[in-house]
Amino acid sequence: MLPRKHEDTKKGTVHSSSCFRVFVTVAALVAGVGVRAQAAQVSVTPIARDGQVLVSFDLGVGISDDLRDAIQSGLATTFSCEVALRRATATWFDRTIASVTVTASVRFDNLTRQYQLSRTFDGKEGVAHSTDDEEAVRRWLTEFERVPLSMTSVLEANGEYYVRVRARTRPRNAWILWPWDRSAILGRATFTFVQ
Amino acid sequence: MAGFTSIAPLRSQEPLTPAPVRRRFRDSPRRILIGAGVVTALLVALVVVSARTSRFTPDLLTEGVLYALSAADLAMLAALLFLLARFIIKLVVERRRALPLARFRTRLVALLLGMTLAPAILVLIVGSELIRTNIDRWFNAPLADVLSSANQIAGEYYHERQVLVGDHADRVASALSSVDLAGADADAIRERLAPELTLHGVRRLTVYRVGPNAGSPPTLELVGDVSASGLPAGEGTAAARLAAQAIGGVSDARSIEMLGASGDLLYAAAVVRAPDGPPTGVVVAADYVAGEFAARSHRMVQAFEGYNQLRVLRRPLTGMYLSFFLMVTLLILIGATWTGSYLAKRITRPVVALSAAAREIGAGRLDQRIEQQGDEEFGALVEAFNVMAGELATSRRKLERSTHEIERKHLEVEKRRRYVETILERITTGVVSVDISGAITTINTAASRLLSLPRSIVGHSARAVFDRADLRELGALIAGVDRPTVTEPIPQEIAIPREGQELRLAVVATALIGESGASEGLVLVFDDVTPLIRAQKVAAWREVARRLAHEIKNPLTPIQLSAGRLRRHFQTAPPAVKALVDECTETIVGEVESLKGLVDEFSQFARMPSPKTVPTDLGQLISETVALYNGIFADVRIEQRFAPGLPLVRLDAEQIRRVIINVVDNAIEAMDRRGVIVVETQLDIPNRVVRVVVADDGPGIPAAEREKLFLPYYSTKGRGSGLGLAIVRRIIAEHGGSIETSDNVPHGTRFTIELPC
Repeated sequence: MLPRKHEDTKKGTVHSSSCFRVFVTVAALVAGVGVRAQAAQVSVTPIARDGQVLVSFDLGVGISDDLRDAIQSGLATTFSCEVALRRATATWFDRTIASVTVTASVRFDNLTRQYQLSRTFDGKEGVAHSTDDEEAVRRWLTEFERVPLSMTSVLEANGEYYVRVRARTRPRNAWILWPWDRSAILGRATFTFVQ
Repeated sequence: MAGFTSIAPLRSQEPLTPAPVRRRFRDSPRRILIGAGVVTALLVALVVVSARTSRFTPDLLTEGVLYALSAADLAMLAALLFLLARFIIKLVVERRRALPLARFRTRLVALLLGMTLAPAILVLIVGSELIRTNIDRWFNAPLADVLSSANQIAGEYYHERQVLVGDHADRVASALSSVDLAGADADAIRERLAPELTLHGVRRLTVYRVGPNAGSPPTLELVGDVSASGLPAGEGTAAARLAAQAIGGVSDARSIEMLGASGDLLYAAAVVRAPDGPPTGVVVAADYVAGEFAARSHRMVQAFEGYNQLRVLRRPLTGMYLSFFLMVTLLILIGATWTGSYLAKRITRPVVALSAAAREIGAGRLDQRIEQQGDEEFGALVEAFNVMAGELATSRRKLERSTHEIERKHLEVEKRRRYVETILERITTGVVSVDISGAITTINTAASRLLSLPRSIVGHSARAVFDRADLRELGALIAGVDRPTVTEPIPQEIAIPREGQELRLAVVATALIGESGASEGLVLVFDDVTPLIRAQKVAAWREVARRLAHEIKNPLTPIQLSAGRLRRHFQTAPPAVKALVDECTETIVGEVESLKGLVDEFSQFARMPSPKTVPTDLGQLISETVALYNGIFADVRIEQRFAPGLPLVRLDAEQIRRVIINVVDNAIEAMDRRGVIVVETQLDIPNRVVRVVVADDGPGIPAAEREKLFLPYYSTKGRGSGLGLAIVRRIIAEHGGSIETSDNVPHGTRFTIELPC
């Protein structure tokens, strides 16, 4: 089972671009607000590099017994993460600048004792390989490095933005008669884009 | 059960109230059957879907089916609440409006709902518990242990076989490390590998060498392979893929190629390295698991995975089954609620319709009918009601026609009455009607004026009204009103004293005879014939005057001539005789002259010409005439008072001037040439007359003498012909007017002349 109650207070750093004289200052990283009781300790780190906003995040969860059972039952188990670059507005809903959906899947072969790992980015197939190391599986499922999110050209100088990560597991372990939004993991990091 | 019934006005006529809206669904058995069919199909679909849940993929189950079922449950719960709320609100409204059978409908729906709700909830609770218990029982420990053990056995077996194959690959790779694979001959390699098949039980060995084009990862070329006899060929690419993984850096590269019923091929790869370190090739060793054994192993693993997947998805599965169950329960409750409402409506609708129609008819809208559809027990009642409503409508239409006819006749009568009333009010003939009880029912304006009776005497006893001294003669005619013998008109002439004069009325009393022949009263019709009688008298006097003038005037000239002859004859007579003759002849001549003057006046009276009337300013005419008296009579003052806005009056100015002179002369003489005379004009618009009043302040004329004033040869002056006022009356009569005398206040006489304008 995924950890149920965590809050992320990790500070993120946004790096300057080599092409532009970009200084991105982390303004506030009181991220990973525990919106729900399910909230985990999500570490979100946005950086600007080569004209792109890249996001690294760690869902901060381990392979729980339930998750291990699900994986070892041969079910294709997927962590689906929706990463969104957003800007807060005072009078209306926050505006989404860009978003990408990243999935990491694992399927365990009980005959060969191998974990088949794969990833997709916005539905496009990514790398895939197999392993028999459970820790590698955990990292594969929960740690994502430098996910390209947006071009920095769409950002306003000195604008305050935040990156929100919302993760779900599939298959979901839903409640009996209320399947909505139970296994979401939320995390976010706020930054100021300085050019 | 009652059929569909609704209230509707007759189609042929304008509807008096809006027709009730027919509900397409509730009033159509076909649609109800279709609806029931849809619900049944839904239930069947639920059963079918629930029977195939084992085929659902986990994602479909957790991402689709559960959402759909929960949404469907919520929707049905909302529908149930909506139905209940709607029904309750309608019942409250109906009960507040005191609609009939509202309480009955409440009880019926509550009974049906209660009969359904309790067992449905009970079944839901028990069924849910059963589902949960049974699902929990699926995952009991012994079964889990067995499946886990089986899975472990199969896995261990395959693992061991793969480890063994891996060892073979490593050993062969080590053996080939001293061989120059780049330049090795394929046959030589096969020859070297062949013992491995026979001595170590390896079923297939495939050797690849690193290609000449170095890269990362490097490319591989097949050098050679050897296989045991009877080994299934397999896909052929599994070995190459594994070799590529191994040369790419994957340690412990293994794979299984499943050949279905033929069994499985277990692969392991090992990199061949030259003694100095760089990889020169890859060896892929394969072992074979026979078909039957491989199949069993797969089944064991599948059983374990299936079991564990079910265990992992236990909650969504439980939720799904409970959702199915809840859905069926909600369907039953919705169906019970709707059916209860529907049945209550069907049962009570005819009665409600009858009640509503009765209220409509009670309110006067008799064209309301109850529309009947299909066979029903209320059919006879509805038909009887419609017949009753039809008869009521027919009777009402007849009554309305009669009423319209009566109103039309009444209007005609009223119109005629107004016509007669107008005539009676406008004519100069007096009319008085008396009913059988002797009460005065009508009196017109002319009668009121002629008899000097107020209009308010209507309703009073005629006997009391006509008991007045001057009206007693008329009262005598009315006295026989209750006697049916008075059926024939009795014309009479009656004289009524009026202000010192005599008013002569030609009276006819006519009995009013009803349709039964009985007397219903009497009507007195009378005309003022006084002017007529006066005119007759004047005409008679004119004839007398004409004859007198003719008879007297003829001998006067011979008398005068004879007297002159006598005087001339006795011119020579003795003075005494001559004086006597002169005196006598002078007397004769003088009297003859006097007679001639008198005869001339008679002639003038008899031959008075008809007036030549032109529109004339009466005031100016009077002023000019009165001006003739200026300075003649020192002690007489004549005042003039003219009404403003006097219209032009058609009259003969000379004749009217003569009238005014005559009347003023009379006034001056009457007051002995001393006093005040007032000449005034009045305009009486309602009667369309102009009045000229000449009033003096002399001693006045006794009432008994007034009527005689206008007779020829009547004079109170002891001189003159006495024709002056007779001529005045004649002139006024020729102008269509009248002249009357009355007392002046405080003393004197008033001559009032009325001329039409």
